[in-house]
Amino acid sequence: MFRAMIKKEFLLVFRDKHALLALFVMPAVFILIMSVAMRDQFTSKNIEFSLYANDMDKSQASERFIANLKADEKLRLQEKEEGAQFVLSVPKNYSKEPASQITINVKESIKSDQLEVFKSMLLARLLGEKFEAKQSLFTVEYDNSSKIPNSTQQSVPAWIVFGMFFIIIPMSTIYVNERKQNTLARLNSMNVSVFAMSVSKSVPYLVVNQIQVFIMLGVGMFLVPLFDTPALEINGSFMALGGISLALSFAAIGVSSLIAVSASSSEQATTIGGILNILLGAIGGVMVPKFIMPESMRTLAEFSPMSWGLDGFMDIFLKSADLNMILGDASKLVAFGLVSLALSMLILRIRINRGL
Amino acid sequence: MIKITNLSKSYGETKALDNLSLEIKEGSIFGLLGVNGAGKTTLLSILNGLVVQDGGDVKVFGLDMKRHKKEIKALSSIIPQHLAFYENLSVKENLDFFAKIQNATKEHYDKALEVNSLQTVLNQKASTLSGGQKRRLNISIGLLNNPKVIYFDEPTVGIDPKSRNEILDTIKGYKKLGVTVVYTSHYMNEIEKICDEVAIISHGRLVEQNSIENLTTNRNSDAVSVEVAYAENLKTLGVELTTETTIATKESELFSTLELLKKNNVFVKRINYGSSDLEKRFLEITGGDDV
Repeated sequence: MFRAMIKKEFLLVFRDKHALLALFVMPAVFILIMSVAMRDQFTSKNIEFSLYANDMDKSQASERFIANLKADEKLRLQEKEEGAQFVLSVPKNYSKEPASQITINVKESIKSDQLEVFKSMLLARLLGEKFEAKQSLFTVEYDNSSKIPNSTQQSVPAWIVFGMFFIIIPMSTIYVNERKQNTLARLNSMNVSVFAMSVSKSVPYLVVNQIQVFIMLGVGMFLVPLFDTPALEINGSFMALGGISLALSFAAIGVSSLIAVSASSSEQATTIGGILNILLGAIGGVMVPKFIMPESMRTLAEFSPMSWGLDGFMDIFLKSADLNMILGDASKLVAFGLVSLALSMLILRIRINRGL
Repeated sequence: MIKITNLSKSYGETKALDNLSLEIKEGSIFGLLGVNGAGKTTLLSILNGLVVQDGGDVKVFGLDMKRHKKEIKALSSIIPQHLAFYENLSVKENLDFFAKIQNATKEHYDKALEVNSLQTVLNQKASTLSGGQKRRLNISIGLLNNPKVIYFDEPTVGIDPKSRNEILDTIKGYKKLGVTVVYTSHYMNEIEKICDEVAIISHGRLVEQNSIENLTTNRNSDAVSVEVAYAENLKTLGVELTTETTIATKESELFSTLELLKKNNVFVKRINYGSSDLEKRFLEITGGDDV
């Protein structure tokens, strides 16, 4: 009986073209767009500033300072003022009064944090000059726990997580149709239990979710690099990757079942499911990376199952996590999925007893 | 035999069934009549183990519903009013699915297919079937477990007269196989045509249970009334009018009547099948509400 139920569900899911589009194409496109669009925001290597230096002192000291700036590969010194992001004015008495102010004229709209980066770069140059340093004054080393992702490492797991929760669309459509057309009642009259109905529905979506993960990883590893964006590297263990994606799928199936059996129409289910997905995604770090969120939002994010899944994936991609490391997040997801699935079975039981 | 004793069921403040008692003979075709909301669907749901009664007893072939629900479900089958199958699957995929979950034998599978003449559309997607074929698929699924009792909940809604008659003939055939049929319909002539006995339910209570013979006199089961939009030339067409816009005809003459109306551009609003006698009796009992 289970085999027949699972086969039926597979046939229905894979014949729903709109659902397939939402499940496979939408997250793949998102990964591609977001990885490429946010590439420069996430990658410090690509930070580059154009500037024009106006040397009013014309002294040996001022010329040495400007030559030093030229040596910095991230500072593009222009011959003309036109088109430069910044104009640096070195004052007349620069050589006599090293504490005299260098004026930075910002020529085009630029984010305040970028201005701070630019100022830090200038400061490092000035200090280097003062100490006659032959190389950069600072080297940056990341602790394993404080690594920040590049745009691909952020986008791939974020949109995998988001896409997996979109199984609400086919699941609710099929559930509501079955309920409205009395097919569930018919199955119940054929001694098919609510448990069998729910579990048999879960298996195909578990497979669909794993296919989604496989495709999205492929997009991150092979398609995104074609657009001059870093490729996704899986540093952690594949066991951990499988574990977190199965646990996440479990949570997605649970919450989707819950919405599908509670809604009175597929329109209602897809609306509620869509809104819930977006909210969970927004607070869970899918749309806005958690590391740039303020502390209060980061605390709120801990209540979103999407955040648990995202953390698990990030640990694998950034911190070379093994199965033990993702066990905490995976357990929370499985528990969430179990509670949601049990609740959905209870609601379905009540609805069937009431004649749906 | 199906024995229902003092059955009651309420949904909140609404009493769907109120101390209803009736008996259905084994191997008979039993008609269930009642206005909308009379409690027919609730009764069928309880008989199928889909809804639990608040009080009273149901015994199906000697088995108590409270203790032997699973066994009773295995013996019975419901043909719901809605088309309870998967539109996105083919006829074969639907039948295979429902057959497998009920462990249907090949013999019963083939019989369900043959009785409903679905062999030629086996690989067709269910959504592309005609109204009559969809109804037949709906019925076929209900036959897969070789039930001893079949509950038909208005199985001919929205289909053409030809398919309707074929389905009715098929249902009549089940009696020969010893299957008990419980049949609800809005069409009085269907009830008259196929049922041995009828129960009329009103406000969740049984108001009459009798044989068709006793319920109707001057039986005229092939009577059909055609309701049309008002037309000035109606009286000149040579049709028998019972009201200003209702034509009385017979089932055998229905096509020629419709042809005549079409030729004269008279718009048909509704066709009512049924003997006026059962209908009259029903209206007397239920106080004239719509069926």
